[in-house]
Amino acid sequence: MICQICGKREATFHFKEMINGEVREIHLCEVCAKEKGWDKSFFIPDFSLSNLIASLTDIEISFPISETETVRCPICGLSYKDIKERGKIGCGSCYQTFEKYLTPLLERIQGKIYHSGKIPHKGEVKKEISKRIYELRKELKEAIKKEEYERAAEIRDEIHKLEKKDEKQDNSSRDS
Amino acid sequence: MKNKIILQEIANSISRWLMGDGPEADIVLSCRVRLARNLKDFVFPPYAQPFGLKQSAENILNSIRKSNYFKDARIINISELSPVERRFFLERHLISLEFTKNENYRFLVVGKGEMISIMINEEDHLRLQSIFSGLQLGEAWQLSDIVDDELEKSLDYAFSSKWGYLTACPTNTGTGMRASCMLHLPGLVATQRINEALKGISQLGLVARGLYGEGTKSQGNFFQISNQVTLGVSEEEIVNNVGKISREVVKEERKGREILFKRDGAKLKDSVGRAYGLLVNAYLISLEEAMDLLSKVRLGFSLNLLPEVRNIRVLNELLFLIAPVQIQIKEERGRSSFSRDELRAKIIRKKLRE
Repeated sequence: MICQICGKREATFHFKEMINGEVREIHLCEVCAKEKGWDKSFFIPDFSLSNLIASLTDIEISFPISETETVRCPICGLSYKDIKERGKIGCGSCYQTFEKYLTPLLERIQGKIYHSGKIPHKGEVKKEISKRIYELRKELKEAIKKEEYERAAEIRDEIHKLEKKDEKQDNSSRDS
Repeated sequence: MKNKIILQEIANSISRWLMGDGPEADIVLSCRVRLARNLKDFVFPPYAQPFGLKQSAENILNSIRKSNYFKDARIINISELSPVERRFFLERHLISLEFTKNENYRFLVVGKGEMISIMINEEDHLRLQSIFSGLQLGEAWQLSDIVDDELEKSLDYAFSSKWGYLTACPTNTGTGMRASCMLHLPGLVATQRINEALKGISQLGLVARGLYGEGTKSQGNFFQISNQVTLGVSEEEIVNNVGKISREVVKEERKGREILFKRDGAKLKDSVGRAYGLLVNAYLISLEEAMDLLSKVRLGFSLNLLPEVRNIRVLNELLFLIAPVQIQIKEERGRSSFSRDELRAKIIRKKLRE
């Protein structure tokens, strides 16, 4: 797609703004976006859809553009570029495939990146691992609160180990 | 045809949560908990092909048919309805604005008394909601939790231990939970403290919206407040937080009402009495005028200024019966020569004189 201002360079900044239910799309190249000051701080800091798209765009700067187009999710076939344009994630597997883009995005939207709520009862082994991780995260919070940093580091390592195990399980259950 | 019969049945019944028997129901019209869930290994609805949508709908409907909580449930194929009929369910608070769009394989499942309902193939495969009268968020969460547990027995949800329930929009990832309260705040509006209150709410991480949820404006001094963050907090924490802040707003609203009464009791009584007089006697009334007058009458009832009104339930019912499509469906407007404003006035007169 070509930049809407200069009409020459490839547009890499894509904005969507919703005004009274009508969606307006803006496509700009990096140079024009910077010139207009639209590369950042263009949108008011709230949790609206436009802010979300802006967050996605910001994050893209630190990743090679081609990768966001070529790497595709094995289940739904979407690239990160597709997701970014629509502002919606394609399937559960996208979360794993595009983890490195989604982690900063979720952190920005939600302020946190770890789930600490309900866990499905199904999948016995998985349930045990998830439960343990859940408990450990709680302990981690406590340890940090009490400023027991050595203990916190231990808990964090344990969580990482369990998460790897959990991922393996995710993969094996998908293969089966 | 089957859809039409169900539509009429629902139009002629009253939502359980409009009874107004919950705590603080004169200010908290309703509270709601919504859970977003997706099926594992299925493409999320915004990107799914018709075949995928059909399959996810079948899986979920099968699971619902097995559930004890949906024994008397009505299943409505939303995709077969006209835009007006879809609007009917939006006004009824059973579906979202997004769900009124024309897409394939969208179903609405409504449990008894409309306390619990499910949208299938909205932005997520499954959206479960429960609505209660007054400030009972804990109860609403408990009910959704149990129903969610039961559905999960025969459904595999998309879940990761790191990110929780995986949703189409990253604003729902984690618990997939939105907990909200619908508040009637005429006291804060009249004493011009509403903006301050809404600002405070947003600083505490909650959002305020209009009467029909996302993308809608406030009418009749009703405001919906809900949580924004869904990740890194537990369902109980969300429920407690939204509940606590709602209780604070209720306190402020009561203060506002007291100020109004103390400042000029006669003026307040006059305004309430006139509003009631207009409603009982009008033969033509627009939605805007009716909402404005009902808001005043509701305030008057809460302050014991209107012995004529028997209970809050009548007023709650009217809030919804006067919406454009409710009138159209219930009164079969197409067949009569009455205008909508005429029918609205008739409904109000009848209901208030019952």
